[in-house]
Amino acid sequence: MAQFERGTSLSIFVSDRREDFSALIFAFAIAFSVMLIVG
Amino acid sequence: MVYTMKSPALLIIGILMLIWGGLNNSGAVDGMQSYLQKSAYSDYMKVKEKFDAESRVATEMAAAEGKPAPEMKMPKSKFDEAKAKQAQLSFIFGGAFVLIGLFSLAWKPKQGNLDYYVSVVPGIAFVLLIAFIVRWGLDPVFANWGKAVKDAGILTWDFAHIFNLNYVVLGIVIGMIVVNVFKIPAWAANGVRTARFFLKTGVILLGTLYSAAELAQLGMLSVVMIGIFVLGSVGLVLFMGKRMGSNNSMTAVLSAGMGVCGVSATVAASPVVQAKAEEIAYTIGTILIWGVGCMFLFPTVGHMLGMGPVQFGAWAGTGILNSAQVAGAALAFDPHGIETLKVAEIFNITRVLFLPIIVLWLAAWYVKHEEGAKKVNLGQVLVAKFPVFVLGFIAMFALSSAGVFAPAGHYQGKYFSSAEVKEDKLLKDKETRALEGELSKMRTPEETKALQDLIAYKKLSTREQSQTLRSVAKIKDLDPLAKGAIEKASKAATHDSKNIRAYRDWIAWLFAFGLIGLGMQITGKALKQAGGAPLIIGGVVGTLKAVGSLIVVLLFVKEFV
Repeated sequence: MAQFERGTSLSIFVSDRREDFSALIFAFAIAFSVMLIVG
Repeated sequence: MVYTMKSPALLIIGILMLIWGGLNNSGAVDGMQSYLQKSAYSDYMKVKEKFDAESRVATEMAAAEGKPAPEMKMPKSKFDEAKAKQAQLSFIFGGAFVLIGLFSLAWKPKQGNLDYYVSVVPGIAFVLLIAFIVRWGLDPVFANWGKAVKDAGILTWDFAHIFNLNYVVLGIVIGMIVVNVFKIPAWAANGVRTARFFLKTGVILLGTLYSAAELAQLGMLSVVMIGIFVLGSVGLVLFMGKRMGSNNSMTAVLSAGMGVCGVSATVAASPVVQAKAEEIAYTIGTILIWGVGCMFLFPTVGHMLGMGPVQFGAWAGTGILNSAQVAGAALAFDPHGIETLKVAEIFNITRVLFLPIIVLWLAAWYVKHEEGAKKVNLGQVLVAKFPVFVLGFIAMFALSSAGVFAPAGHYQGKYFSSAEVKEDKLLKDKETRALEGELSKMRTPEETKALQDLIAYKKLSTREQSQTLRSVAKIKDLDPLAKGAIEKASKAATHDSKNIRAYRDWIAWLFAFGLIGLGMQITGKALKQAGGAPLIIGGVVGTLKAVGSLIVVLLFVKEFV
């Protein structure tokens, strides 16, 4: 049952590294979306 | 374990957002918005006045010619744009939250990824709702109140401006009140923990806003200042720790936290100096106390001393210990522009780039002072703990300055483009004749060529020529008409980047969200974790760093960006 207990008290991610990479992907997704939508 | 809770909260938040979007679209809250969005509303009144006059003339002309009155549409004002933006955001998020809210009520969650990610949404909606209320409601209310009190002569200064009662500070304070007085609702707990993720996304996205020229200037300044203060504070903590008889591991981990970038430096240094969990907790508690104090104090001092964005950004980026609080202070100081945040984050990122040096120093120091210290693979520690989002920021900047995400060579959101100069912005014959008369005053062949090209094409052709002619415009005995023509041509070829405006907007929302969530993590319990020697050492070094960097900034940093 404990296998899905995850995240830390400060983050929903299991590690800082995972959080960093997710932020990286999200930031690039925003940048590409702005580029495509705004011009 | 199943995380998703059966609660109508998400659905209710979604409906509230949809209602707000509908009210804005229908114009039902125009009266309230005209108070909240005062400057945008005054723009609306100007546009309306101009439109009414034009339409009256057009109607009279049509009547004189015996034709029916022409149909005219009033152009959009800043007020219309602001309302449309609120409606758009409310509809997008409200719609999504209603759909997910209905789904989570009807769905029987099973343990797994879907359950975990669905459980995060209500908390995100909760923080976003507070962000909407604070940005669109409380922020303008306090701004208007501060001005009204000053205009009425009750106070000689604007209290909302001096005490930074803007959406950043109000958001953090509301977050702190929610967690310490009311407690975060159980259904929102998971989503609140996304705050740091959104702050990191904001920092990476900030990379799109810098131009190479800005970064070169700020980079040099930040390396020098950060070099002095990071290395100085690490050395001072190590010295004081030894004198006060603190544990070597405690002293070392505190020095990393006080010197480099707060929590992540503490975590990165801890395996190298074999720090215990409670030592890490003490350090983080000490940093938190200092960071929170500085976040509220720095912007007020900055306003009182009349500091500019570069000076304040340099001071906050050097003197405040933790990345999130650096961003909080910079945005609190200058909430409606991103310039201060940009400067502060460059200092913050330079500080993180010092992390490998500090880890190596602490490893050497620890092995020297601790008997029987285990050797740790430093390379492995650095690869495992170095914050990747800093590299993301650098990658984003590199791509952006190459013209991928923003116009190449942009400077503070503006870029040069000769091809985009509109027909009606070309120089008039009268202006080119005035320029011809000034050709003899040119001091170099480059100036002569630039002026000849401007006369021939009636617009500026290249960025270099634009820069050359900007110095020509400063020649003392230049004909005022020629000077005006150069300024007009320069303005016509300088354009606002819509992309950069969109990035600024995204960044402001990401930070607003992240900082409200950050406020919800500042609990009394976390603050109490600091105590004894770490707090004394932290207090002395933190104060010296804050005061020392303030003096250096005031003496040496000029508003050159």
